[in-house]
Amino acid sequence: MNGLPVPPPAHIATVLALVAGALSGIEAFALAGAAAPEARSDSTPAALEATHLPPLLTLPGEHVQLRFDAFCVGGDESVEQTDCPATGSVFLRTRNRTSTEIALNATADSRGRYLAADVPDEVSSDPSGFSYYAVLRYGDATAVLPPGGEAASYTSVPLERAVRVDLGEHSFGAARPPDERVAAASWGGGREDVGLEQGRTQTPIGASGFDVDPTGRVYVLDEAHHRVLEWPRSASHPSRVPVSVSGTIGDLSVGPDGSLYVLETSGGESGKPLVRRFDDGGRELETVVVAEQTASQIRNGPDGPIVLQQPAQQWMPIMPSGVPAGGSEQRRLGRTARPLAGGRKLTVFRTGDELRVALTNGSGVARAWRIVSGSSLAEVQLAEPLGNRVVVVMRVYEEGRDEFVALVLDDTGLVRQRSIAPNDWAETAPLGRFRLAGGSLYQLGSSSSGAFVDRFDLGVKP
Amino acid sequence: MTVSRATIAVFAVTFCLAAAGTAGAYHTRFVADNCNYNDPSPTSFITRDGSATVALRARYEGYQWAGGCWNDNDRDDSPGDPTEDPNTGGEGPDCSGFTFKVWRESLSEGSSAFDQWNMLRFVHGPYTAARFRRGDGAPNTTISKSAAVRMDAFASDSHIGLVYAQNVDGSDQIIEAKGEAYGVNIWTRTYRGSSSYGAVRRVGWSS
Repeated sequence: MNGLPVPPPAHIATVLALVAGALSGIEAFALAGAAAPEARSDSTPAALEATHLPPLLTLPGEHVQLRFDAFCVGGDESVEQTDCPATGSVFLRTRNRTSTEIALNATADSRGRYLAADVPDEVSSDPSGFSYYAVLRYGDATAVLPPGGEAASYTSVPLERAVRVDLGEHSFGAARPPDERVAAASWGGGREDVGLEQGRTQTPIGASGFDVDPTGRVYVLDEAHHRVLEWPRSASHPSRVPVSVSGTIGDLSVGPDGSLYVLETSGGESGKPLVRRFDDGGRELETVVVAEQTASQIRNGPDGPIVLQQPAQQWMPIMPSGVPAGGSEQRRLGRTARPLAGGRKLTVFRTGDELRVALTNGSGVARAWRIVSGSSLAEVQLAEPLGNRVVVVMRVYEEGRDEFVALVLDDTGLVRQRSIAPNDWAETAPLGRFRLAGGSLYQLGSSSSGAFVDRFDLGVKP
Repeated sequence: MTVSRATIAVFAVTFCLAAAGTAGAYHTRFVADNCNYNDPSPTSFITRDGSATVALRARYEGYQWAGGCWNDNDRDDSPGDPTEDPNTGGEGPDCSGFTFKVWRESLSEGSSAFDQWNMLRFVHGPYTAARFRRGDGAPNTTISKSAAVRMDAFASDSHIGLVYAQNVDGSDQIIEAKGEAYGVNIWTRTYRGSSSYGAVRRVGWSS
């Protein structure tokens, strides 16, 4: 009736039993970004979590469907037999309209069961875009996406004047060597070595994060040795700053005042991510628990460090104006566009083998690009403004090989393109392999002998 | 049952030999005190939602190399086990044991039947990450990496993790048993584009 396969009788019975349990008055948990419960047992009723891929940047005339995956958590193990029978609504708003509620319909395809709402064309085609949030329910459990609710609503904007960049099919094996190796360290336990985690028979992890300040000083997070190695510009040997981190493939960002911000991806209670702030001598100044269950990168924002968090898919401030933010404040201030200096924002949205990038200001989209690839696109490692241009680094791949591609974009389209070898023998922070500083691009790489940071000239002035 | 115990024994011996010389005196009693060897419950179907629920139940629990038994109290009950030692008796699965259980696979490699394993059932299954990557066994098949969706897996020769969700920047949220220092959790990863990884699918999803 709703597009789902006809469930077996046992399936129906289990769903009814679960609903009955949820209605019996026993407390249910609402997660979706909230802290995990202290403990659960088999008899605890189900909670609800949800994920969503917001269509941040659309094209004129493109049909927009909002899709949500709901997950039932906990409860009796018989729940593992079932689809998660959540329901819900999405609340849409355009600049000139009042809020519209649309019920989410359960449906299914080869990707599994999901909840979906088709956005009316008159809403999705509004030149100012539209904002929305969703509320999902199962019994007494509720999940809200984004977790900041209406205050942090997702925004979807149509790109009416995007510059199209056709990359064609990627030529693998044509990567040029870097222009300079600015830092290098062997794997090992010595004073100037970088430590490897997990040994050599599991996935090696090492030199998990790095940053480069405007002077060209390179900072490498050597989490296995609980320290940061620093190479001043043109120095061949690093200095060492001890930092009390517990590892977990952390990312690193150096603040304008020299503070070291380390994002530990599962350092807190119940596996929650943490941000630790250290002064330039390694003294710990603050620790902030990240609001969401997953955090993938930390960067400098115009008002302090910001962290990209999932499942919200939003950048959230961790210490706005220097004050540590609690979870609810982080969620309330969450935004899908990354905030930049001067009130500008940068939005990145990959859909299939196309990447859409938009620079916005207070009056809307200032510049936008559609980057269409003839090869499969994986993750965007970096998207940063460089004067009036934008630099993007993304990974292209096919089965068995991959490379990074750096693009410099301006109003006319593609200014520069450069292929870069992956150099990813050891695992690092997932989206922490590149930095842009002083007009140069830097890559954190590794081989079986050690870790290094390479500099690439982009051939344009900042 | 005979087959199950025999398979476990062979598997345990394999790992013991592999780890010879590395096992220390450190042991916990989590497996001995909490885990069982009950038969699995055969089911007639498998859904991606249902498997996600199995996976989420293991989130925040521990990691045990060659392990496959955990509770649901959101903490590692045997933290700090020596790595790559299958004899510590600690809580949690390793990456391939986690995938085996979430995918409800059978101990018989020739069977693509759906076996529901209780979380406290100690079982790892016959597959390493490298074998999953090759698509070994009747329940497993390799697919294009760009086709991988929720509850499909990315596997290398040393690790395997399951797709939980995709991110707007093209990375993925992966639920995985990462290592002793990490346990089981959801993290953003870039396995999809990495040449070290291939994509694997459990055959037979009903939705």
